[in-house]
Amino acid sequence: MTPGSAGRASGEGVLAYLWAAYTRLAAGLSVLLLIGRGLAWIALGLMVLTILHQVVMRYGFNAAPNWTEELARFLMLWMTGLAAPSALRWGGFVAIDMVPRALPRVPGLLLNLFILTLALLVLVLGVQLGWREITGFGGRFASPSLWVPFDVTFATFEIAWEWTKVAKKYMFASLWVGCCLMTVVTLELMLRTVLTILDPNRDLPDDPHMMAAGAD
Amino acid sequence: MLIWFLPAFLVLLMIGMPVFFALLVAPGMLLWMDGQGNQLITLYRNVYNGMDSFPLMALPFFMLAGEIMNRGGITLRLVEFSQAIMGHLRGGLAHVNILSSILFAGLSGSAVADTSALGSTLIPAMEKNGYSRKFAAAVTAASSVIGPIIPPSGIMIIYAYVMGESVAALFLAGIVPGIMVGVGLMVMVRLLADRYDLPKAERIVRKGQSITPVENLIARALARVNMIAVLFVLIGFIAGSLGANVPWWLRLIVAAGLSEGIFIALRRRMSEDVRVVYKRAVVPLQTPIIILGGILAGVFTPTEASVIAVAYAVLISFFILRSMKVGDLPAILLKSALGSSTVLLLVGAAVAFKTVVSLSHAPETLAAFILSLSENPLTLLFLINMLLFIVGMFLDAGPAIIILGPILGPIFTDIGVHPVHFAIIMSVNLTVGLATPPMGLVLFVASSVSGERVETISKAILPFLAVEVAVIFLITYVPAISLTVPRLTGFIQ
Repeated sequence: MTPGSAGRASGEGVLAYLWAAYTRLAAGLSVLLLIGRGLAWIALGLMVLTILHQVVMRYGFNAAPNWTEELARFLMLWMTGLAAPSALRWGGFVAIDMVPRALPRVPGLLLNLFILTLALLVLVLGVQLGWREITGFGGRFASPSLWVPFDVTFATFEIAWEWTKVAKKYMFASLWVGCCLMTVVTLELMLRTVLTILDPNRDLPDDPHMMAAGAD
Repeated sequence: MLIWFLPAFLVLLMIGMPVFFALLVAPGMLLWMDGQGNQLITLYRNVYNGMDSFPLMALPFFMLAGEIMNRGGITLRLVEFSQAIMGHLRGGLAHVNILSSILFAGLSGSAVADTSALGSTLIPAMEKNGYSRKFAAAVTAASSVIGPIIPPSGIMIIYAYVMGESVAALFLAGIVPGIMVGVGLMVMVRLLADRYDLPKAERIVRKGQSITPVENLIARALARVNMIAVLFVLIGFIAGSLGANVPWWLRLIVAAGLSEGIFIALRRRMSEDVRVVYKRAVVPLQTPIIILGGILAGVFTPTEASVIAVAYAVLISFFILRSMKVGDLPAILLKSALGSSTVLLLVGAAVAFKTVVSLSHAPETLAAFILSLSENPLTLLFLINMLLFIVGMFLDAGPAIIILGPILGPIFTDIGVHPVHFAIIMSVNLTVGLATPPMGLVLFVASSVSGERVETISKAILPFLAVEVAVIFLITYVPAISLTVPRLTGFIQ
């Protein structure tokens, strides 16, 4: 065996390892995001019903419920946290992509990798800060009108089964979950970019559920 | 140090970083380099607090309402209705395209939804009628920018929220400018019709359509209610200006009598086919009336109006049009959830960005720079329109408003421009930017709907863009165009 072929063999080994990692990550993420999207559209549906109930009660019976607005905001935050990662994965985040497109292939991909690294930095920070918010003092503030039959202490993962007012931490958790999922999505996109650079001849599989996710 | 903040942000945007991340990286870097790394938590909190808002909820709801109406086949009814009104003119289908956009704008707040919904119906029809494909695609793209100008409007909800303005005032201020864009485009079509010998079309495409007895009854009743309401207000206005005091019941009786007379007269002049097409449009066209009527009367908040629009759209699609099944709902809900989640995150990031922008003294620096160019507000407005137009060429309207609103709004309010007037200038200008090459979102959508190349559509759209630029300047220099309606209705002073 010549030194060159040994280098190639280990290079191929790394590539095979990266491919295996990517395939598993992508498959796992597809399932995770599918569940997230399922919950997101249900949340939007419930938001409609909640505010509709508010309107009917207010104008029909002159008895405006005090919990509807809060519940709807809760649902909207979770809808965002659970749907946005799919949008990020499918290219639904608005960007001016003229420069990366105008560049030759490899420099364009490297620039993309740089952007993704910065995004990853933001998201990892978001995950850390988000966790501090959930477990911190602000997370303990209770909602004025919503109740749940349990209370989770996130720092220790203890669950107590008793009726408690919904604390802010459950709302904070929406953005945190969104950040966590988006971190994994960004890692996947980075791996994808690396593989496109290293192994240009092999096609990358697309998410079978992909749909347009942008908005003006 | 702080002065690097905005250029850094611009560089990040230009190299292709998604706006959401750029809005966070730039202020984050600023805080970190300024030794205030412990303030990053404030940034995070602002993103969260920015999204946690009841008024913002109108955004997903209006998006959902538009999506349901689009799938439910309401678009086709609006197109047939427009065609029965304007199809027989020279350049008929181009006029129909524009009128449909105006009507569709009252149901949806998005230019992209407008392009894809109307384009898929009208571009093939126009081609069959003898128009070139690029012309058909260009008219569709150019007229779809009316969508976010006439209420409801996604970008106005965002602007109102980020800048602390009243959504209702912005909605009302957009009505006249939106109609002006539409009329301007029609005038351009008329001019082009002579030059290119654009064809006329039939007023009725599908002859012998029917309407169910129940819908017939509902449509007739609603049409009368609408007509009586308009006449009631009109009579009151005329009587008021003559100084006469007419009791409300008399006004109602006169309005009802007049309305019945008008309907009888109309009935004699119309063929059965035209009547059916008109009737089939009555129920869908109640949507803008409910939304605007509710907000105007002070009965609903915009968020409540938006949820009522959703409920109404579901009601029509399931029970009147019977064009939708329960099984279609998840996909529609998901599409709206995906679209609105990206916008909501953007708004959250914008709120975080805005706080750091104000800390950085960048607005003062920028204001000093802008005011050093000229002290004349009219000149400054001209310059700002140029800037917005250039930004609009590269960036979608929503993100552009989110970024520029907080920076430019206060400067112009300080030199005496009414905040609502400035909001409309920004909204209309950046919305037109959706149809300007090289990066116009609706150009891309029109291209994918029609199969024509973006470059070709970009050339064909130029005469229409010229009209829209002219309207932008009219709106800029005649504040009454945007401010009269909200003033008359008491939403601004």
